[in-house]
Amino acid sequence: MTSSSLVILPIIIPLTAAAVAVLLRNHRRAQAAWAFGAMVASFICSSVLLWVVTSSGAPVVFQVGGWPAPAGISLVGDRLSALMAVMCQLVLVGGFLYALGCRDQCAQYPAFYPLFLMLAVGLTGAMLTGDLFNLFVFAELLVFAGAALTAMSDDKFGTEAAYKYFYISFVASIALLLASGSLYVSYGTLNIADLARRIAADPSPPLALPAMALLMIFFMVKGAVMPFHFWQPDFHTAAPTPVHAVLSSVVVKLGIYGFLRMTTLLFVEQAEIIRAVLVVVGAVGVWFGGLGAVGTYDAKRMLAYSTLGQLGFILVAIGWGTPLALAAAIVYAFNHSLLKAAMLMLAGSVASHAPVKTAAFAAITGLGKKLPWAGVLFLLGGMGLAGIPPLNGFIGKLMLFRSGVEAQAYLPLAAIGLAGIVTLVYVIRAFQRIWWAPLPEGVKPKPYGDRLIAPALLIALSLGLGIWAEPLVSLAEATVAWMSRPELYVRAVLGG
Amino acid sequence: MEIIKAISIGALFGIGLYQLLRRNVIRSAIGLSIISNAINLYLLSVGAYDGVVEAYAKAVGQRSDALPQALILTAIVISLGGFAFVLALLYVIAARYRTGDSDEVKGLSH
Repeated sequence: MTSSSLVILPIIIPLTAAAVAVLLRNHRRAQAAWAFGAMVASFICSSVLLWVVTSSGAPVVFQVGGWPAPAGISLVGDRLSALMAVMCQLVLVGGFLYALGCRDQCAQYPAFYPLFLMLAVGLTGAMLTGDLFNLFVFAELLVFAGAALTAMSDDKFGTEAAYKYFYISFVASIALLLASGSLYVSYGTLNIADLARRIAADPSPPLALPAMALLMIFFMVKGAVMPFHFWQPDFHTAAPTPVHAVLSSVVVKLGIYGFLRMTTLLFVEQAEIIRAVLVVVGAVGVWFGGLGAVGTYDAKRMLAYSTLGQLGFILVAIGWGTPLALAAAIVYAFNHSLLKAAMLMLAGSVASHAPVKTAAFAAITGLGKKLPWAGVLFLLGGMGLAGIPPLNGFIGKLMLFRSGVEAQAYLPLAAIGLAGIVTLVYVIRAFQRIWWAPLPEGVKPKPYGDRLIAPALLIALSLGLGIWAEPLVSLAEATVAWMSRPELYVRAVLGG
Repeated sequence: MEIIKAISIGALFGIGLYQLLRRNVIRSAIGLSIISNAINLYLLSVGAYDGVVEAYAKAVGQRSDALPQALILTAIVISLGGFAFVLALLYVIAARYRTGDSDEVKGLSH
């Protein structure tokens, strides 16, 4: 066992654990404990990976099967992908913890934990892979697991939502397959590092730019970016709460990760085109998501719309593309993952107390009177989302706006700055409906509901990162410094 | 040969896309499977570049690139699984709504 196999551990641990969890299907408690243990082990491995990458400064590259880079499949844990993997697995651990104490019917099904583990495999694998076709395989794994989990949800419209999601993801897969075919016929390779080298050397093949556009479509669908967002609120709202918390926070970050990779590694010369698109769709998405969230009648749906808006902030930052803006994008993405997962878990927890299990405001008005601690956490999380200190959301927004002033992009800055107020409006509105309004006559809330450990841990972590933000910010700055030198990535993967 | 291949890929794509956009959910599922076959053909044809010939060309002494064929195998397996999954979802949807018209399937619209 060498240090290079570290990068495969966060993928292979959940993968084997999922197979074993299927065997444990008749022992529900053992299966749940096993799955949670495996997820924690996997998270520890990805944290060690991040630590190794950060301390040594060089990426950890694993050539699967021992085949050297352009011929075989490489798994690459560099600063960016290791950080993203840690972020995803942190929220996934939170999701598993929530699922353990959750009263959803679907969490009792024997297939729930194996599928959830497969979701973890797909997400982590898509972040850590260094091969375009491998990205397709992991993304499909993610889609299958996510759609199946939603189809078995307690929500009676789960199958419909799963169908919608599967359909639009299929269109994304078409785009990715066409892109990889076009890049293969142009450059004769699918290895991302090799592709980056060859595209930089010769961007002239006629299929290179269409491939870029198709890849953008793929990542836009994955990230629920503005023109391809329509499936996201429906799908995420129908998912079971622990899955919804993961989907709305980290699964959409696959799109963010893809755009970071595209602008700094794959298409460095053509990045200006991508950036120009991202600023526009990001700024529109901020307003669209914010106003959509204000207009909803369901707490979980509101938070799903809010994800559209928050991703818009990150996209605008990637679009500005200065080192400070990219660092802001990474910090913002990390913070948003923690906060959004926690907020969704809180909304789901309140909904589990409702007489009829739903997160519609009409059904959960006034339920908060019995749940003061959930109220405190929800208010803290909402302040974080809106960017009010002392939570880490403030740090992300501060960096973002500073980078906008530095890039002298005043028009988009004004647009997203004003939209920040909308965040406050919908969070306060939800808080007021659930915790301030009196309980309607004759409504008897259930005495037991989902446990609050997982959201409490996530909020505590974001509070900690808000007060002591230095480690995350310096990590993001080091990551951006690394991303600005794509030739180092290429050399690390291909050798020589 | 080139022109036949190009036309057949284009035709499959067109038929698939048309079916994919139909209102009947069964037809759109079939469109899904037709498009994945168009993609497979496309991937097969990208194996011909830089002095390498297609897998189906009968050129003596020239080799064909094996990687696109491996990609197609993977893509076929995945699209098979996906098609089965979609049919299972459609079974549940059709049993609930008693219709295949996607305009009638609107439990999620608010």
